[in-house]
Amino acid sequence: MSADYGSPTVEHEAAAGDDEAGYRSYEVYQRERVGSPPPVKPGQLRTQDYLDDPYTLLANLRHYGPSFRDWQGNAFWITHYNDVTSVLVDSANFATRSKRWFYGLATFGRDLRNNVPFLTAQAAGIDKHAPVVAREIVEAFATRGTADLATEFAALFPLQLLGRTWGIPDADLPVFVERYLRMQRGSRWNVANQEAGKQAMLQLVSYFTPLLAARRADPQDDVLSALATLEIDGPAIDAHDVVATLLEGDHETLHGALANMWYLLLTHPDQLNMVNNTRRLVKYAYFETLRHSTPVLSGERFAKREVERFGLLIPEGALVICSAAGANRDETIFRDADQFIVGRKDLVQREPRGQYRADGLPAGITPALGTPSKFPALPVGRPRSLYAITRDIATIASHALLDATSNLQLAKGAQPVLKSRGYGELHTCWHLPVTFTAK
Amino acid sequence: MSLIEELHKTIATTYEVDAQTASTQTFEFPLMPLGTAYDMGRDAQGVPLFDPRIFDSREFQRNPYPYYRILRDHYPVYHDKLHNCYFVTRYNDIAACYFDGLGYNTIPKGSSNHVLGNTQLELSGIEHSRRRNLYGRHLVGAALTKRIGAICKLANEMIDEWFNPESGMTEYDPATGKYTMELGKAFANEFPIRVVCQVLGFPDEARDKFYYWYKYMMGGIGGRDYEQKGLMARQDLEDFVESIVEERRLKPNFLLDDEGNEVAPDIISELCKTIVDGDVLSTEEITSNIALIVGGGGETTRGAILNMWYLLLQHPDQMEAVLNNDPLWDAAFHETLRHSSSIGGQPRQNTFDVELQGVKVPTGSLMHMVDFSANHDERIFSDPEKFDVLRNDLYSEKILRSGYSKDGRTNHMAFGVGPHLCPGAWISHQEGSIGSSIMSKRIKNVRIATDRMAKDIDGVSLAPIGLGAINELWLEFEAI
Ligand code: HEM
Repeated sequence: MSADYGSPTVEHEAAAGDDEAGYRSYEVYQRERVGSPPPVKPGQLRTQDYLDDPYTLLANLRHYGPSFRDWQGNAFWITHYNDVTSVLVDSANFATRSKRWFYGLATFGRDLRNNVPFLTAQAAGIDKHAPVVAREIVEAFATRGTADLATEFAALFPLQLLGRTWGIPDADLPVFVERYLRMQRGSRWNVANQEAGKQAMLQLVSYFTPLLAARRADPQDDVLSALATLEIDGPAIDAHDVVATLLEGDHETLHGALANMWYLLLTHPDQLNMVNNTRRLVKYAYFETLRHSTPVLSGERFAKREVERFGLLIPEGALVICSAAGANRDETIFRDADQFIVGRKDLVQREPRGQYRADGLPAGITPALGTPSKFPALPVGRPRSLYAITRDIATIASHALLDATSNLQLAKGAQPVLKSRGYGELHTCWHLPVTFTAK
Repeated sequence: MSLIEELHKTIATTYEVDAQTASTQTFEFPLMPLGTAYDMGRDAQGVPLFDPRIFDSREFQRNPYPYYRILRDHYPVYHDKLHNCYFVTRYNDIAACYFDGLGYNTIPKGSSNHVLGNTQLELSGIEHSRRRNLYGRHLVGAALTKRIGAICKLANEMIDEWFNPESGMTEYDPATGKYTMELGKAFANEFPIRVVCQVLGFPDEARDKFYYWYKYMMGGIGGRDYEQKGLMARQDLEDFVESIVEERRLKPNFLLDDEGNEVAPDIISELCKTIVDGDVLSTEEITSNIALIVGGGGETTRGAILNMWYLLLQHPDQMEAVLNNDPLWDAAFHETLRHSSSIGGQPRQNTFDVELQGVKVPTGSLMHMVDFSANHDERIFSDPEKFDVLRNDLYSEKILRSGYSKDGRTNHMAFGVGPHLCPGAWISHQEGSIGSSIMSKRIKNVRIATDRMAKDIDGVSLAPIGLGAINELWLEFEAI
């Protein structure tokens, strides 16, 4: 062996003595040959075909069988509703990998998102700021009579809200948002973005270092102060932890959910009308959006051990792509699954629990938009789940929009579409021009 | 500008930039002069960045080597987050992984599962070694030497056809006395298949069927509609093999020499009486093994022969040297496989968490061993981009089994190394060098018919080989 061949880990040495460990049995793999060939080519699920219209390909996969092995990407696609939810809640067998891992910076800072003081401050901050931010944003275009709801409303709202709840001074917000976005964009496969993202992370660390000290000395009513004063095992919280916590959150998903919701309402004027007349339906429109057009097409999980599921042996380390988009259109679960029906009877119209179900009904799956609470009732001393919080923000923002406008409709000739701009990016509406009369 | 306007602008700019640079589809890599890499940017330390989209690009297909050099120099274990896999690109790392059959198993070859069935390619450890030598030994050493006469005969039969105007293999111009032909159609496509067919012991009348199996099973690896046809072809092969197996289980069949003496049993007859785990092989297992030989023995050798003639004819001094010294065909064959092999590399999956070249690779990751890159590793082969039949750092005798280096000369990686080393290496070597040597004794003044060949981006120079093998090789020659 050559000198520069990295030495295998200790674990490897130990197991190397065990002759049985290194191979799969002949029989199990033999089974893979049985059955009809898959309806898509490996790699096809990374092409623009899929990014433009994932639903046709996913329906093919769903009808093909419980799982599809993309051997080129070492991935197993699952598309049936019950299978997808079963993996998403099975953290014993399936793990997520952090964005920092994708960055190659697995040890950068600590993700503090699960600490109760953080969660509490986040919930309180959102409750306080969401209505204000929503009004500010809508007012900025309300008198104009035209707007692009994708960029001026859906994209703006979550970021400005993030700044306010975290306690970023307004004056710093544009610079902060620029760095924040750059950091988030770098957490995927694009290397140039990744480089830019690393720079952004360092810039954010420098930015947060003095701010964190200031909040520690003089705590305010914001998330940053909650982090500054958080007491956990190990070294004191520093700016790296703050940046890691910020990075691992998925604030942009709300952008996708809002844009998709308004895209769907505007392209279904009867439903928009109904929602406008009966405001409690706004919430239902949001639920149906998560189901009908999830902005995050799939959740990725890595098998923690070899498991036999979905008719296949899934080796340890394999990527299981839980296709939310596929599952949400599962016709064995939802009637007329391809139709957008606000208030549909076969969808749970409140927060689902653990298994994405409540009242015996399934919910729409949108990964990265706050997992539904595992608890049957809200535990004492904990804020409501992020799922519930995002639902409320989306509702508040939409109310603000409806309150400020009448005759809201697509701009003449506008033909908005939902699409992803790259593999792993949001599947959403990037331009949604509307006209309206100011109230 | 108000805060909201400013924010709006920041966000819009980010998304616009994203739309242009981050897309998997709209970005096209420019086609570069051969040997030069497109600049994909640098990190803060000045290290070149490597964009994983390049693997899907046309640029990479024709001009892969400068990119592999970036990987070898800067990312010897490269994590490709777009395709969810790792690339290992240095010779020594790859060789070490190949030899460690337990740590790096072969499961990801699901590619062949549907059509070829389960073959030894997918097995590791004992399961592999038990089956590996079922017929491997019939393709090497004394067993092979006995077959050389038959290989020569097949080559001569095919070459005879070139001079038979009925065959349509060549175009003859009486004015100049020159023949024109496409080497693939006239020789390289079929020759390896005929050899394999014969070694397997398929009756001659099965040859036509053999092309059908071969074509559709190979095509079927791609997926979808083709795969359906591939499965049908495999079923057909299975039915056919079944009948032969029943027959040969009772009465083995032998390869005959010119005088009609029995030389050796054919491979199917050998497989029929082979015992694994205390039991004879099932017809299913035999079929899968045959399917693997059918698949592994055709395209690969075809590519090697075409690439060899293409490269030699573009280096006339080396062609001259080979023509004057028959044994150099061996070196030419191996230098071709080093310089431009027809197989790019092999996937492996690590059985344990490993750290290789400072990169932590979690258990079960898809790791591509890039043989192409190993063959151009300047740590092993000096001036690797140069095609040089006479180079003194390449080992070109019978491929080394247990190691990969001898007397300062190293095997190329085109046949792999270690437990999965291609069992067809020796026979394809014989096909390539003997076939070409015979050809060279029957034709002279060979030139590439440039006007019929694919061109590079400038529209003038001949297209580079790039990844894999050239599609067609048009030759002009005179008869001897
Ligand atoms: C120039 C021609 C050829 C090239 C470049 C080539 C290349 C290779 C390589 C790289 C492997 C290793 C696979 C791995 O490491 O996982 C391999 C395996 C194999 N090859 Fe070839 N091959 C050639 C010709 C042939 C021929 C003529 C035959 C059959 C007569 C053949 C039959 C096989 C078989 C059966 C295996 C599987 C061995 C195992 O997994 O144990 N190959 N070949």
